[in-house]
Amino acid sequence: MTEVDIHAPGVEVRKSACYFCHQNCGVLAYVKDGDVIKIEGDPEYTNAGGLCCRGNIALKHLHHPARINHALKRVGEKGENKWEKIPWDQAISEIAERLNKIREESGAEAVATAGGTLRTEDWSRRRFMNLFGSPNSFHNALLCWIPTFMIETAISGWSPFETDLASSKCLVLWGMNPGASSMPGMKGYTDLMMSGLKIIVIDPRYSETASKADIWLPLRPGSDTALSLAMLNTIIYEGLYDQEFVQNWCVGWDELVEHMAQYTPEWAAPLTWLDPEQIREAARMYAKNTPSNIQWGCTWDQIGANGGAGTQARALMRAITGNLDRPGGDTMPGPSFGYVTDEEIEANDRLPEEQKAKQIGSNKYKLTSWPGYQIIADTAKATWGKAPTAEWMCEAHGPSVFKAILTGDPYQVRALIVSATNPVNSYGDSKMTLAALKKVEFMVTCDYWMTPAALYSDYVMPIANALERPTIHTNYGVTDSILCSERAIQPLYDRHTDFTFWRDLGLATGQSEEDWPWKTEEEVFYYIISPLGYPVENYDQFVETYRMYFPPQRFYKYGDAGFCTPSRRCELKSSILERLGYPALPTYTPSPESAVENPELAKEYPITLTTGGGFMPFHHSEQFNIKSLRYLYPDPYFTINPKLADKLGIEQGDWCWIETQRGRIRQRADIESLCDPRVVFVPRGWWFPERGVDDPEAPFGCLESNTNVLTCVDDNYCDPLGGSWMNRGLLCKVYKCTELDMKLRQDTSWSIPGNAKEPGIHEMPSDAKLAFDPIPYDPKPTFEVPDGLVWDKNRLKAVQPETGFVYDPDSGWLIDEATSVYYDLVTGYAYDPTQGNLVDVNTGKHYDMETRQEIVSGEGEE
Amino acid sequence: MTRNVMVIDLRRCVGCQSCTVACRTWNDLPMDIIYNPVLTEGVQGDWPNVHRNWLPTLCMHCENPECVPCCPTGASQQDEDGTVWVDHTKCMGCKVCVNACPYGMRDVSHMVPRFDQYVRKCTFCRDRRQNEPGKDPYCVQTCHQKARIFGDIEDPNSEVSKLINSVETFRLFEELGTNPQIYYIPFLGGHR
Repeated sequence: MTEVDIHAPGVEVRKSACYFCHQNCGVLAYVKDGDVIKIEGDPEYTNAGGLCCRGNIALKHLHHPARINHALKRVGEKGENKWEKIPWDQAISEIAERLNKIREESGAEAVATAGGTLRTEDWSRRRFMNLFGSPNSFHNALLCWIPTFMIETAISGWSPFETDLASSKCLVLWGMNPGASSMPGMKGYTDLMMSGLKIIVIDPRYSETASKADIWLPLRPGSDTALSLAMLNTIIYEGLYDQEFVQNWCVGWDELVEHMAQYTPEWAAPLTWLDPEQIREAARMYAKNTPSNIQWGCTWDQIGANGGAGTQARALMRAITGNLDRPGGDTMPGPSFGYVTDEEIEANDRLPEEQKAKQIGSNKYKLTSWPGYQIIADTAKATWGKAPTAEWMCEAHGPSVFKAILTGDPYQVRALIVSATNPVNSYGDSKMTLAALKKVEFMVTCDYWMTPAALYSDYVMPIANALERPTIHTNYGVTDSILCSERAIQPLYDRHTDFTFWRDLGLATGQSEEDWPWKTEEEVFYYIISPLGYPVENYDQFVETYRMYFPPQRFYKYGDAGFCTPSRRCELKSSILERLGYPALPTYTPSPESAVENPELAKEYPITLTTGGGFMPFHHSEQFNIKSLRYLYPDPYFTINPKLADKLGIEQGDWCWIETQRGRIRQRADIESLCDPRVVFVPRGWWFPERGVDDPEAPFGCLESNTNVLTCVDDNYCDPLGGSWMNRGLLCKVYKCTELDMKLRQDTSWSIPGNAKEPGIHEMPSDAKLAFDPIPYDPKPTFEVPDGLVWDKNRLKAVQPETGFVYDPDSGWLIDEATSVYYDLVTGYAYDPTQGNLVDVNTGKHYDMETRQEIVSGEGEE
Repeated sequence: MTRNVMVIDLRRCVGCQSCTVACRTWNDLPMDIIYNPVLTEGVQGDWPNVHRNWLPTLCMHCENPECVPCCPTGASQQDEDGTVWVDHTKCMGCKVCVNACPYGMRDVSHMVPRFDQYVRKCTFCRDRRQNEPGKDPYCVQTCHQKARIFGDIEDPNSEVSKLINSVETFRLFEELGTNPQIYYIPFLGGHR
């Protein structure tokens, strides 16, 4: 029939990868005459031949008629959808000219870039920005793991995200639904479940995963923080912690015990809609069945104001139960010592300090921007010589950049380069985001498709997809394993990879060839894997023969040199958070919008809204234009409990409005007991690429069913630690669309803050208040600081300014921390342990310990 | 003798419909043809005492297929290994077999030109298995959950034989007497 004979002459098999989500499943691509004729899952890769809906449409994606194949230059007005096809090189040089002009007039920081989810070489974007001189690159990563990573790293030295599940006794899947979002992972969980592992699913929805689990806790959306605090309280006060670990490896235990007394299960019960006994039960199950493991779920970074405290509490749960870095527990991989990490090729040292200080949002959300990253990176480098990736972990605050475009506060951002993202759908407060995209003076979009962002751009750059590029997967550059795949074919048409875009743009804006020593991905990937020492001559050969590198899993790594924290201990009371002005112990902040804490608002908006969860067959806002997938899910459906639907007079399939303080969207009702009768679940990402620019104000129906119209990015909705905003547990009302309603044009009015009653700018971002005030950090020395030394409050040490030597109050000596050499406080001479006296390192002369007089060498001395 | 069957493990299926999409792209099917739909009744029961299940389906490759003897041209036929398939060069698209199949697992596409309108159905990826002996049908390979298992029921060492002989299975509409060869392992667990 249509079977392609893969043994026919001229057909070559290439080990490519799928790039439609983070799993990066292996794909065998059958290539003939420079084109891919068939693909299938790679049976010898981590996915064991499996591919999900998305992976299987790779060929449709490659040859899709709507793909952008040539660089497009805007010829009409912004948003008019009139373009001229121009050669790639011409587009690059015109863009570079414009960026250089903006840098000259307003400084490099006036150029910002937005990145997408792990399907790009984002270290190259970072490298470009560092060399260009702008600190303002950002991602939507604040909603996805990055705050978690940074908080956990601050507490225990590295995020414990690796697993050793085969030895685990209990697994908590918290705010995570692998049954719809990480398919190979779900296979593993099912296997373990069938062999007896107990799984607790914590999810307000009866998700695919919940339907298979042993225990399911359906909590109120967005109340995860309250639950984790109460579980931590239970573990502490029922004595379920690992006493030995706490004693030997933790600091701040007494303060923690005292502080946690307030968060009892009874306190959490009304907030979570759970029974106090249910909470205790879950805590006991987790703490008694060690080694146990809590898997990270996206929810943690989408709770808003108190999300950071929840992550902190969860990190402490892992720590005090002794699960950190033990077999079957929460393993902390640390950076790779085998290959070159992303951080090492980002050129972060090339960004001047004064430019780092200009990073937008870094004065508010300090942990995931330069202030916090710098401390964590310095600590990591002191421990391992390597640091976490700055791209992702140290970025501008996206929504604040959009606000800066609209308000000019803290300064005017004039240019925006959008790469692999569709900000209108993926960032909170879509109407404000769309307004910013329309307003920004100069915009370039690198994408596969014409998205709303691309439509308002001055240039649209055609980007190569997974089959047209090699890929490397290192889990954001913060783990020690590596998975490699090769290019199936060279990019078709005038498409290029994003790496090529940043390199070409770098060279065109005046960066030198030495700054970009690698011409292709294959060259740079070979550079990355070379230190592994495999006998290969190029990258493709590595893929063909080895393909992946997993170092043997090592446990109890903290036994070598302690945890990678300033105190070398697991910091239950985090000194890094304290230094940044955050509560050092997990502290609950009431949510600005919740049915329990804001009953006044709940009168008008009585239903709890949860958004942001992933669902098959789409990934974020992608693949809505691929018919072979869209037929599974042609219209947007939100889930509503039959009891609530009855009360509201809604029937299956009815178009309904879902309205929050910010605006309203319409979706169709799917009446199922999938969530609580007080909750609606509204799926993310919806836009209608097939409609084209039907409404020039809101093209592609991008505001019609888009949940982010409902979300809020006001500063008091964001988590002050990491800057993530709130997708879960908002308040809404739901009502049926009338016939007249269906014909209405989308309301595009926006406001800053998002909750203002009238459109327009009512508050400058600099005046906006955070969810809680920073706590001034000014610790006083506990000993007398000798004259000539300076008290360094960040390191809690007295330092000699000229040399950087640290004063040791116990012995009264100065210590060079790098070499561990002791120096005399008065003379500055070093202690010579071989002769038991002082030595001047400059002259080599020896001095007496007591009198500090020169010792004249006797005869016969060597 | 080989007798190919499929076991579908409902304990593993999460209703992702990857098999459906994979089959369509692998076999390059028109939009109105689906060989292996995944059926579900949705979430059943009263919140929060709920449960849900999915039922992946495909041609049952019956021992006594209704769709083969009724074919006037001999296009609809069965291989020795039990695979039921349609020779599209012989099929005239009369749809007698479409009506005969009690499972509704075959149809003619109306999105292709009139003269290409032949009956299409799942063939256990007959061409794929012929091209590369040892390979499974593509829906089996693509399933991340490994909920579909394919093999020879006559071979006592095959995974399907072991499963059918060790755990409880059921088949759809056994009472019709067609002896369907798709075995389901029921999912009885779930949360408490």
